[in-house]
Amino acid sequence: MQYLLLINEDESIYEGEAGARIMQEVLGKHMAFAEALVKDGVAFSGNRLQPGATATTIKWDHGAHSLHDGPFSETHEELGGYYLIDVPDLDRALHYARMIPIPGKGAVEIRPVWEMG
Amino acid sequence: MSAGDTIAAARPRVIAALAAQLRDLDLAEECCDAAVEALLRTAEFPRDCAAWLFVAARRKALDAVRRRRREQLALGSDSATEGQDMGEVIELPDPIPDERLRLIFICCHPALATEARVALALKVICGLSVEQIARGFVVPEATMYQRITRAKAKVRDAGIGFELPHRRHWPERLEAVLLALELAYAAAFRDAADSEERQLAAEVERLALTLAELLPDEPEVLGMAAMVLLARSRERARLDGAGAMVPLSLQDTTMWDRQRILRGSDLLARAAQGGSGGPYQLMAAIQLTHARRAFEGVTDWQAILTLYDGLLVLRPDPVIALNRALALAKVEGSSAGLAALAGLPGERLAGFLPFHAARADLLRKAGDFAAARAAIDQALALDPAPAERRFLEAERQSLGEARASLDK
Repeated sequence: MQYLLLINEDESIYEGEAGARIMQEVLGKHMAFAEALVKDGVAFSGNRLQPGATATTIKWDHGAHSLHDGPFSETHEELGGYYLIDVPDLDRALHYARMIPIPGKGAVEIRPVWEMG
Repeated sequence: MSAGDTIAAARPRVIAALAAQLRDLDLAEECCDAAVEALLRTAEFPRDCAAWLFVAARRKALDAVRRRRREQLALGSDSATEGQDMGEVIELPDPIPDERLRLIFICCHPALATEARVALALKVICGLSVEQIARGFVVPEATMYQRITRAKAKVRDAGIGFELPHRRHWPERLEAVLLALELAYAAAFRDAADSEERQLAAEVERLALTLAELLPDEPEVLGMAAMVLLARSRERARLDGAGAMVPLSLQDTTMWDRQRILRGSDLLARAAQGGSGGPYQLMAAIQLTHARRAFEGVTDWQAILTLYDGLLVLRPDPVIALNRALALAKVEGSSAGLAALAGLPGERLAGFLPFHAARADLLRKAGDFAAARAAIDQALALDPAPAERRFLEAERQSLGEARASLDK
């Protein structure tokens, strides 16, 4: 089964000089995470996203739409990246999701992908 | 044991083994129910009920899987030709493997809401009807049906695994199971639960004891089982002849089930050997201290107060604080109890019936009959269950009489 692991974080922790150091550590942990997936033979993909401020959102309301600057949900924790992994069940997905580094406040949402046919 | 009891005892083992093999909760449940129906129609009750049910349910599962395959073939689906023949997959293991723990962990997965967990466990593992579960939790049947359907859909669509969780994740997974059991316990043993709800209480007890049997080294699991046994020991004393609730302190202890008390006490002693304490052991210890009245004639309220102090540290919860205040009233008098009640978050407890009932009781003991009566009216306004309504109305009436005699 495929699962999308959505990484939502308060990115203010990466600001400034101390933040840059934390980011270096986190990037290292992401590398280690990817290596663990490869070692376990788990098919995956993933990306880091530009900050929420770079987002543009098209909002729809029954046929009418408007453009908004910024992400869809205005919260402190914003979508900062994702992984798509293929594992047998939710417990395996949780096992890997727990390995994703979140140095400050944040959350990893685990969503099964709708299987076609 | 009656046939019904034998079937109820066999069911968790049968459905768990079936679900583990089929990896399909719905199909396992459907086939198990059909097997139970078939069993009830047989002239001669089998010697080994679980084995009989398992063989019958497995045959039905096989039929269902073959039918599905034929339908897929008719539709020209490629997936129908894939995979092995289910006849080989559903081999009859002998003896039936004990997969109950797996099934409990699936039904009580933390990916499900606590309410959904307990509903799913009672439906799938215990085989209670949606109607029975809905009544136990005082929600409309349609709501409960939807809750169970959604929970099953989540198990399927989120891909909740049929493997036993890794040992490392057990604390987290066990907590999810215990919270679900606690919710079931609260529904089955609330003061006003009437005799119709005994079925729920019986199944909660069965589930708690099963878990204690499967995980004999987990102190909190043993604590939970002890708590349920001790609560159930008072089942016959909870209602009077007129169907009114009898509060714990007024119950006739000769009607308590001493065997259950002793079993609960043993479980708690075993839990204590495990070395790690926890809320369920404390709650069971409170129950046990109450139960000792059956043997010692008096209640050690100081011990209960100390236990509540400990519980309040682990769980800073206004309902526990309310019970602590009642214990304090027994130790230091009703005015101390009332003062403690006054310190609780009143607005959070305003809709909680036992808060008003407790206030009424303490106000009455303090001699403030008018205020006690007002508190009872507040409790009655919260739409109590029939047994509790009868109790509160009787209280209200006796308060009226007490007042009348004072006026004379």
